[in-house]
Amino acid sequence: MLRSLLKGSAFLQYANPLQISILIVFIFSLILIFFSSISLGSFSFTFQELFNGGSESLDSIVLFEIRIPRVLLAAFVGASLGLSGASLQGLFRNPLADPGLIGVSAGAALGASLIIVLGSDLIPDFIFGTLVLPLSAILGASLVISLLYIFTQGFGYQGITYMLLVGIAVNAFASVGIGILTYISTDSELRGLTFWTMGSFGGSSWQLIIPALIIISLAMFWMIPSARKLDLLQLGEPEAYRLGVDVKKLKFKVIISSAVTVGISVSLSGMIGFVGLVVPHLVRLLGGVNHSYLLPGSALLGASLMMAADLLSRILIQPAELPVGLITSAIGAPFFLWLIFRIRKA
Amino acid sequence: MSVDIKNVSWEVNSKKILDDISLSISSGEIITILGPNGAGKSSFLKIISGDLKCTEGQIYFDQSNLDDISIQDRSFIRSVMSQSQDVVYDFSAREIIEMGWLDRGISSYSENFTEAIDQISEECSVRNLLEQSFNTLSGGEKRRVHFARTLVQLWRPSGSDDPRYMFLDEPTANLDILHEQKMMKLIQKKRDEGLGILLILHDLNLAAKYSDQIALFNDGKLVDKGFPKTILTEDTLSTVYGLKMKVEKNPFRIDYY
Repeated sequence: MLRSLLKGSAFLQYANPLQISILIVFIFSLILIFFSSISLGSFSFTFQELFNGGSESLDSIVLFEIRIPRVLLAAFVGASLGLSGASLQGLFRNPLADPGLIGVSAGAALGASLIIVLGSDLIPDFIFGTLVLPLSAILGASLVISLLYIFTQGFGYQGITYMLLVGIAVNAFASVGIGILTYISTDSELRGLTFWTMGSFGGSSWQLIIPALIIISLAMFWMIPSARKLDLLQLGEPEAYRLGVDVKKLKFKVIISSAVTVGISVSLSGMIGFVGLVVPHLVRLLGGVNHSYLLPGSALLGASLMMAADLLSRILIQPAELPVGLITSAIGAPFFLWLIFRIRKA
Repeated sequence: MSVDIKNVSWEVNSKKILDDISLSISSGEIITILGPNGAGKSSFLKIISGDLKCTEGQIYFDQSNLDDISIQDRSFIRSVMSQSQDVVYDFSAREIIEMGWLDRGISSYSENFTEAIDQISEECSVRNLLEQSFNTLSGGEKRRVHFARTLVQLWRPSGSDDPRYMFLDEPTANLDILHEQKMMKLIQKKRDEGLGILLILHDLNLAAKYSDQIALFNDGKLVDKGFPKTILTEDTLSTVYGLKMKVEKNPFRIDYY
């Protein structure tokens, strides 16, 4: 039934039977990892307890107010990074593209650093409480998107390489800002800054994540149906246009949805490296390169891997926690090296 | 049924690349543009394809102004083949050919999709390449696959009289002589099915052999147009190419030194 449901989705009409099977496996592993993630940790639940809803009050608070929002956030951030990595690699026709490339993460990082270092001076009572840091990061990300939009005249000006160069400039500019903030920070602020750049899903709450999950889902459902157009774009921008793709519109869709999902993800969880770069490669390796399969596949696998990484970060040195960005980079970097060697051989 | 190009000029940084060109591409006709490098042939093709917007003049596809035809609708009435870029990811040749249709669902011929692919792969002799990785193909094979894609884009059930046009920029580049002749014959076959075809070629003899009309470009201007044998004269060609030419009448053949 699941197979026929997937097959019926308009954007999946170009996925072959093998690819559909892989997507189904991804969905089942996602469910499996989700339940393992909410049951395991410094506070463990058996599966039976999970389904009984946690009889004791402390258990249910840990489960429903801390564990589930955290695991959900990890899944959505993983899906965002995987999907935007895959779609940006398609848009830039470059397998080394990464959500950080268009400068959105750097913008979010600048916004967050501003609050970590200067927050207590700028906003005396922390008026928005825990919301102020993500809000500032989103503002930073939005600023970068707007700049990018203006510089490239609505993402339409010249080729995609031009946008890449603007992204590099924006990245450099943001690092100057972060550098200055690092320079003037106190020891404890510096510590906060460093930990933030390593990423974590700790401290998620429903209040914080519900708006984020809604916006991320909307952006993803807006983006995924463009998969076929990304395939045609691989022939080059003029060719895609001649085949009926409104290239300008496509760029707009991919950039905005990536910026929104990545901006929100970075705002809530800090910098998490390598997921956006490596997950699409893994998905291509398993089943093929067409985007009708690649985009949903990268979102699903990104979500699973991120939940698994978060689980590792929680159980490796419990009751303490490792920053999850450390784990993704520690696993992602060697995998990436292997990938490069593999490509060179072929 | 025709594509009518009226007084088209195109300037870049106040340099005239194309200067007041008027030309018609009629259904059931092969018209070939000849001319030296930098004559504006490829720019002309880009402008009538809609890639670039001309600075002056108008382009009509069957009396509709090109500007008023949506990007999607343009793809149904004309296909374009030019020097292609590399494809980064590992698509199969079949997947590349299938890209001729942006969306299977949108066309009224959706159920004929496999039939169309089979028929065209046969015509372009790429059937044995279909399941191979596109990036491992040779330059000439890639060209044939792209040509098949260009044909798939305009595929209709036989007997259809929808007006359709093909603009091909050096379609035979990289092809061996066998596949060159095969492709030119296929282009003629498409003409007989009613397509209007615009070619850019460098080989004068190939152009003379297969074209119904020749348009000679030089320095952004249309020097002359007409039947191959009237246009391709020793005087005109020597002036345009700056090369000594010798034209033999029987059989028709152009030599240059």
